[in-house]
Amino acid sequence: MIESGNYIPSESDLIKGCIIGDPQMQKMLYQIYSSKMYGVCLRYSENVDDANDILQEGFIKVYKNIGKFRSEGSFEGWIRRIFINTSIEHFRKKIKHHNITEVQENTVEDDRVDVFDSLSTKEILRAINQLSPGYKAVFNMHVIEGYSHKEIADILGITEGTSKSQLARAKGILKKILGNEIKN
Amino acid sequence: MQTFQDRLYHYEATPPEKTWDDIADKLYNEKVVDIHRHGKRRLIYYGIAAAASIVILLLVTLFFNNNNPSQLADNEMQFKKSNNLSSQIIEDSIKLNQQILNSIINSPQEKKEITSNNFDLGKTLKKYLTIEGPSGEPVKISPKVATLILYADNEYPPKPIWSNEIKKWQKIMLNTTVSPTSTNLLDMVTSASNNNIE
Repeated sequence: MIESGNYIPSESDLIKGCIIGDPQMQKMLYQIYSSKMYGVCLRYSENVDDANDILQEGFIKVYKNIGKFRSEGSFEGWIRRIFINTSIEHFRKKIKHHNITEVQENTVEDDRVDVFDSLSTKEILRAINQLSPGYKAVFNMHVIEGYSHKEIADILGITEGTSKSQLARAKGILKKILGNEIKN
Repeated sequence: MQTFQDRLYHYEATPPEKTWDDIADKLYNEKVVDIHRHGKRRLIYYGIAAAASIVILLLVTLFFNNNNPSQLADNEMQFKKSNNLSSQIIEDSIKLNQQILNSIINSPQEKKEITSNNFDLGKTLKKYLTIEGPSGEPVKISPKVATLILYADNEYPPKPIWSNEIKKWQKIMLNTTVSPTSTNLLDMVTSASNNNIE
């Protein structure tokens, strides 16, 4: 995204510049992180339009709240968390249409997903995008981002049991979708 | 070989070109300013609401403190108690005064001394009169004053010397421009003598 030969400021200069509202630094920050964050948005959203909306909203939040960043973790991690939360907010807005089923089932927790390792990223993404927003959120948060079921339950406002059952279902659906590719 | 989780975690995609323009538009146009203004306005409203709440709370507290029935009753009781006490003291003093006056009046020896205007100053009078002070407190005064009281009341035919003295003092008191206190008696006398009050 950043053209070669361009000046790349240090992370702290970038943050300071954005805090004082320097447009150049703000654009620089966008150029550095937009591709990565767009990848996050695409994973959580239902379609490209939603992903674009989340990307815009997420960056506005980053610029407005950058003064609150306390260098305790990585800056990229902090930005990523903002984008995940923004995605979840988008998901919540659509919750009327895609309600998370509050049904706890006896799920097999160690349902292995390493079979997906042989597949290409695009194939897996295509399959993930076929999941309903609830399943997609839980799968992304647990399998890709590494959130615990407790954290997912707190963020999505569901029980831990529901989070586990949603994940098991999501994995099952993904395996069905990707069955042919896995066999091949 | 990277796991699919790693590949998805680091997955990148190029956003549409116009996305930055849209973000910049949202960042720098008036909408952002509006949010700040709303924030400030909201803060001002909260401040006013908080101040109003404090004032109302104070007023309510004051109102209930002043109208607390139990406190009112307590105050009334205390007032009645102190009133009863002072009226009791005054009543006792009046009774005592009356007794002393009666004893003076009815004592043949003292009656004789009064009418003959022949007080034996060497004789120690053991009785005192109790009168009510400015704050209602009992004040003991010399029984000699009793004779003045008697003349002032005209109960007995006043002796010329005493009545003249009383009249003289009455004039001094009436003509003086100084309010009588316990410390300015001499000033009043001086003032009276300067005015040749006889």
